[in-house]
Amino acid sequence: MKIKEVMVKDVVSIKPQENAYAAWEILTNMQISGLPVINAEGKLVGMFTEKEILAHMLPSYIEKVGKFIYKENPKSTRNKFLEFKSMAVSQLMRREVVTTTEDATLCEVARIMLTQKARRMPVLDKSGTVVGMIARCDVLKALAGEFQE
Amino acid sequence: MLKKFLILIGLSLGLGVFTKGIGLSAHQALAIAIFSASILGTLFFWDFRLGFAFLGTSILLFTKTIDLEHVIEFASLDVILFLIGMMVIVALLKESGFFAWIVQLILMIRRLNGPKFVVIISIVSALLSTMTSEVVSIIFMVAAVLEICDYFEVNAVPFIIISVLATNIGSAATVLGNPIGILIATKAGLSFEDFIIKAFPLAMVCLIAGIMVVMVWYRKAIAELSVKMKEVGANEILISLISVPPGKNLKISLAVFAVTLCFISLHHRFELLWQLAPNTILLTAPLFSSGVIMIWKWQKAREYIEKDVEWWTLLFFMLLFAQAGTLKYTGATDVLASQIASAAGHSLTSLIGIVLWVSTIGSSILDNVVLVAAFIPVIQSFQGLNMNLEPLWWALLFGGCLGGNITLIGSTANIVALGIIEKEKNIKVSFLQWFGIGLTVGVITTCIVWFLLSVLPFYR
Repeated sequence: MKIKEVMVKDVVSIKPQENAYAAWEILTNMQISGLPVINAEGKLVGMFTEKEILAHMLPSYIEKVGKFIYKENPKSTRNKFLEFKSMAVSQLMRREVVTTTEDATLCEVARIMLTQKARRMPVLDKSGTVVGMIARCDVLKALAGEFQE
Repeated sequence: MLKKFLILIGLSLGLGVFTKGIGLSAHQALAIAIFSASILGTLFFWDFRLGFAFLGTSILLFTKTIDLEHVIEFASLDVILFLIGMMVIVALLKESGFFAWIVQLILMIRRLNGPKFVVIISIVSALLSTMTSEVVSIIFMVAAVLEICDYFEVNAVPFIIISVLATNIGSAATVLGNPIGILIATKAGLSFEDFIIKAFPLAMVCLIAGIMVVMVWYRKAIAELSVKMKEVGANEILISLISVPPGKNLKISLAVFAVTLCFISLHHRFELLWQLAPNTILLTAPLFSSGVIMIWKWQKAREYIEKDVEWWTLLFFMLLFAQAGTLKYTGATDVLASQIASAAGHSLTSLIGIVLWVSTIGSSILDNVVLVAAFIPVIQSFQGLNMNLEPLWWALLFGGCLGGNITLIGSTANIVALGIIEKEKNIKVSFLQWFGIGLTVGVITTCIVWFLLSVLPFYR
């Protein structure tokens, strides 16, 4: 079975110049953690995810400081949230995106997801246009279906 | 990119041809050309520096300019093992919450005002860098300064610059403050005690001078902070902002660090007591402690070695030291040392000035390890002049550390701190914005060191 048979073809995407807060509302409404960012030429330019929003809210040096517990919410987080409301998607999106092609096999996509630590991946056609999205659960369900048959 | 590459090749080859033309042997000229290519490589192509070091060392071996045995000897495995040991100890301290605890202590200081804040961050920055190295300490200092400045809603940039300047000054105070400290200690046969007796007081004098300069330079920002601190009142939220679990881990980690520091500081005494070669305890104390840590935390031992030890930098250091050693091996530094000594009229005072100012200016644009690695064989070559070389080693140490304050690319601490400001506050500190205060503090502190090294009999 190829990935094009199980991917979600109705892709919801956002534009790089869109407001980040509005884009986050789309994520919340759809109950998903991320969306592909596609430019005016229809090319994939990044992924906008909740992880990037959280990474923006907390200090960038957080991992380097070592072990501690936040007992209060720092003022900087509130300021960064206010800043987030007026930011563009392009300022927060992740530019390095793990993708796959529509002719990839289920195991190949599973391999990429495991080795690259990706939960959802855009699926590209030969011209590099996003034609679908594939999530871990889709791959697992499809594998289970194939082997149970 | 291509233009810079051509400049690098042109300058290195030109230097090689020039030195050959003035009477140096082919091997001496080649050693100089390759070492200068490594220096220029760090200046123009920071990300490619290890590649250049690999290529340069291969060429030196291939052309029989040096043999493998001497490459290994000059690579200074002792210094590298010391740095690896310290990196593992720092990884444990970080993981156990030691640095977050330091940040917490700073956030908990009550009844702050502008000048008091400046004095505290300067002293803590300097002392932390003397114990854990400048690159490690600056991250935690920037974290504390940013939280405090955010809380009182003032511009953090002046206070972060103050912290960086103090960090660079403090890094000259002990063997642990900067990689050049341990490099100089091993090559010059200086002990930790020598550093505490000679370098520490000098660094503290520079720190006091630095604090006085920044108090004047940033008087408006400091006054504004005082006003805001009065307006906002007690920093109750800051005081309880973070906490560090006071677990067994933190206590044991602190004990391991304290015992290591104790052995490092008293290494000379222990070596005399146990009749060991100079610096044996200095070099083995971090190794022994990191061995204990890796047995205690055996599940994380691989992570400490693979993630927390900066292999990229250490490999670069090893090959750079080997290339600098080639200058000595071929006799190129003897020629250079004799030229410098003639220019200085064989006067120790003039040589102190030359070594101090060349290393200060050089380290303001170059990685100070590169510069010090080049200078060490030159100073070793002065041995034939029958003079006390110790003041020259202090001049090299202070030049290498204080020069880092002059420009924003002068030291790794500057680059790390400015990177955080840019990411956190979206503020890009301009070259001139840094250069004004950096040059003032750099020149004043270097003049103080120059004066004291030249005049005080204690240092001669």
